[in-house]
Amino acid sequence: MWRRAVAAVGLIALLAGCGASGGAQPKPSELNDHTDSTYAGLGLTPAQPRPQFTLTDTNGRSYRFGTATAGKPTLLYFGYTHCPDVCPTTLADIAQALQAVPSSVRQLTQVVFVTTDVKRDTPAVLKRYLAQFDPGLPNPFVGLTGSQAQIDAAQVAAHVALAQDDGQTHAAQVLLYGSDDYAHVAFLQSTDEAGQISHDLPLVAK
Amino acid sequence: MRAVRRPPLTVLAAAVVLLAGLVGVVRSAQPQSTANTASVGSGGGASSMAGMDGMSPDMAIMVRGAYLRQPANRINAAAYLTIFNTTATADTLVSVASGAGALTTVHTEGAGGGMQQAAGGLPVPAHGSLSLTPGKGHVMIELLFGPLLAGQTVNIELTFARAGVVIVTARVIGVTAPVPTPNRTA
Repeated sequence: MWRRAVAAVGLIALLAGCGASGGAQPKPSELNDHTDSTYAGLGLTPAQPRPQFTLTDTNGRSYRFGTATAGKPTLLYFGYTHCPDVCPTTLADIAQALQAVPSSVRQLTQVVFVTTDVKRDTPAVLKRYLAQFDPGLPNPFVGLTGSQAQIDAAQVAAHVALAQDDGQTHAAQVLLYGSDDYAHVAFLQSTDEAGQISHDLPLVAK
Repeated sequence: MRAVRRPPLTVLAAAVVLLAGLVGVVRSAQPQSTANTASVGSGGGASSMAGMDGMSPDMAIMVRGAYLRQPANRINAAAYLTIFNTTATADTLVSVASGAGALTTVHTEGAGGGMQQAAGGLPVPAHGSLSLTPGKGHVMIELLFGPLLAGQTVNIELTFARAGVVIVTARVIGVTAPVPTPNRTA
């Protein structure tokens, strides 16, 4: 249903709230009709280039997203660890999708989780949290944090809506950047999110 | 289901005690709580119906697809379920409680797209259903009493304006487990 109804473009304002109110629902005029049946997720027209931003990883080291993930299929998601519902469900969907794709694709793919809650999600908290989602996967999930200004800049660079309420209302989409360094497709929480990701991931992994 | 099901012998024994209590034979033998147990027991027997995780004694309200994901943050948990109203009269979910945490509330998607505590109860339409699914709503359990691990079950008490109290047994699924099948079709 979503794939037919919505394709996101530019600054899409699809927000997932986990604990608080706020944010804005996308207006139909902000969304394109999905016309590209190649992807099971939401086709992005035009495709979005892999963003450049620098944050801090769970080992306390500087992480330059653009260069660290260049050429690799990358799933980028913004969320926070106190989130009870959408964030853990989405990370579980990603983990399931990675187990479902061919091993060659799994080996290439990098998952990056950027916190929207800089007050509570320290590198240590992020590390402990993400370690529960990536067991058995060849590439550990990367968790990133930073100053509020850095997190804001990362969201702007990735063309997602800025999180509000201390990060508790945040962009819902998982962006998939391909080996060509463009995101042609994104995913929203649904009962078939894992299936959509596992369908589309091999298409953008070269 | 597991938590409320009683072997028939227990129900029989409860009925005997209840009867005895009614005729004043064992007036001091806590007939009130025994009667409650018997009533939950019979409801539990009915809830062994395929796929049901809880229902009111008169089957006006039935609940299925109840689950929660083992919380990766160890701080809070979100339970999901679908409530069916089998009657011709609308009902309202007025409050929730759970055995897993000190604070249990219902969160639903607010007008602005964020999650917020549902105020004034949630309507369950006549011959209709109310689904709490990721991104749309959940039973929010906070101040957890202890770790919630895959394979465990959590009892959630739903109180309805008309149907009264319904005890639901939600199973805990793994951190990365797929959503249980009943919810995909609910």
